[in-house]
Amino acid sequence: MIPAKQLLNEIVSSLRNVIAPAIAEPFPKAQAYMAAVILEFVSRQVEERSDIAEGKHEALATLFCNLSQLSGSDRLLGGGPASEAELNRLIEQLYAQRAQIGEESFTAANRLVRQTLRQLLDQDLKVAGKAGV
Amino acid sequence: MAAARTTEERIRDYLGSKLPAARDLTLSDFVQTAGGWSHEIYIFYANWKEDGRERREGFCLRKDPGSGLLRELSSLKEQFAVIKALEKTAAPTPKAYWYEEDPSLLGGPFFVMEKVEGEVPNPWSRAGKQFYAEAAKRGKLPRSFVEALASLHNLDWRAAGLDFIGVPGPGKDFALREIEKWEILIRQSISKPEPVLTEVLMWLKANAPQAQRLAFVHGAYRSGNLIIRDDAIAAIIDWELQVIGDPMYDVAYVLSDLNREGSPLLSCVVDRDFFLDYYERLTGLKVDLEICRYYEILYMMRSTAFWLSASGLFAEGRNKDLRLARTTYSVPVVLDMAAKALGF
Repeated sequence: MIPAKQLLNEIVSSLRNVIAPAIAEPFPKAQAYMAAVILEFVSRQVEERSDIAEGKHEALATLFCNLSQLSGSDRLLGGGPASEAELNRLIEQLYAQRAQIGEESFTAANRLVRQTLRQLLDQDLKVAGKAGV
Repeated sequence: MAAARTTEERIRDYLGSKLPAARDLTLSDFVQTAGGWSHEIYIFYANWKEDGRERREGFCLRKDPGSGLLRELSSLKEQFAVIKALEKTAAPTPKAYWYEEDPSLLGGPFFVMEKVEGEVPNPWSRAGKQFYAEAAKRGKLPRSFVEALASLHNLDWRAAGLDFIGVPGPGKDFALREIEKWEILIRQSISKPEPVLTEVLMWLKANAPQAQRLAFVHGAYRSGNLIIRDDAIAAIIDWELQVIGDPMYDVAYVLSDLNREGSPLLSCVVDRDFFLDYYERLTGLKVDLEICRYYEILYMMRSTAFWLSASGLFAEGRNKDLRLARTTYSVPVVLDMAAKALGF
């Protein structure tokens, strides 16, 4: 996702340079400029949500711990830190080595991976979902 | 110092160069449409005198803005050649007039085609949904919707000279090529790892279906990409995603929930049972719902690629359109749809 501060700054720029100059009527024109000013203050107040990053980190750490207990997991785990980049690599390895690790191990590992992916998605949907949490 | 010429003036001068017999050429009803995320689209009428007679013709000009949604995947030159090739077929399409690469003319490549008279109601708007629902009740538009799609799938694409857009090999090659194409866009656009998308991509590759037969496929066949006149499809537009491939790819797009948001009708306009039955009768193909389900998931991956590209262009500062910024929030939503379709 685009960082909130970057988005706010771009909206300020659009209000000031695109929207407001195109408005002929004085009152809505002043409102557009004022919205830009207020958003600049809001931008200074905003902090990215830390609970999302923490929730993702916890889900990833649990996954890599659980995977290490599966037989044949040494073929999959690269030893890197539990991160989304490492999970990307692991998913590619899992499919690439499907024949070697066998269908049973593939299914077990894939089930754990998908549980984690669901948890990661749920974190992103806290912001992007229709209801927001 | 002379004032810079407006886009309208430059287009008028260009048109004058292509219509040397035209006298007193003027443009009227000149508008740049709000739609179109890949290209700038201008619609206008040209009015002129020729051989003592008054002439008036509608034109549509598509221009490459240099930072469109599909990035390097979208080629105006190919679009122009496709529309030109389709002129000789039964598929309803606009006439293609001129393609120009010279950036000194309008600032980027563009082509000019016929403005087909009719309307393109927006299926995402309340008014558009109402338009399609009422047309569906009258019955003529749903038939025309299926017939126009069948006209694409039945056409002899080799005879029409459309094989230049690329012909996949037999078996799973079409699906794998399509995945690879969108993966390229994803790689160009992505700024951080997206493991859910990686899982979707790996699943798609592991489960690619065999194509029943190869046909000319539009790639985005739905209401909103069709010009309607007198309750019939006057022209199929938005020629950006066409491929030679599995016709079920288009069928899946029609069947997809992505294109009917709240409407019980496919693409907001056609009853599902009627569509399946009439399409099979017109094409002689058997609709394989399992393969269509696969392609629906591929479309979710493709939508994710679109939104990653759009939000990436904005984040990189290459395109300041706020509509592109909004798509950053669409990525998890469409990935959620794909995850649910895959059972997680």
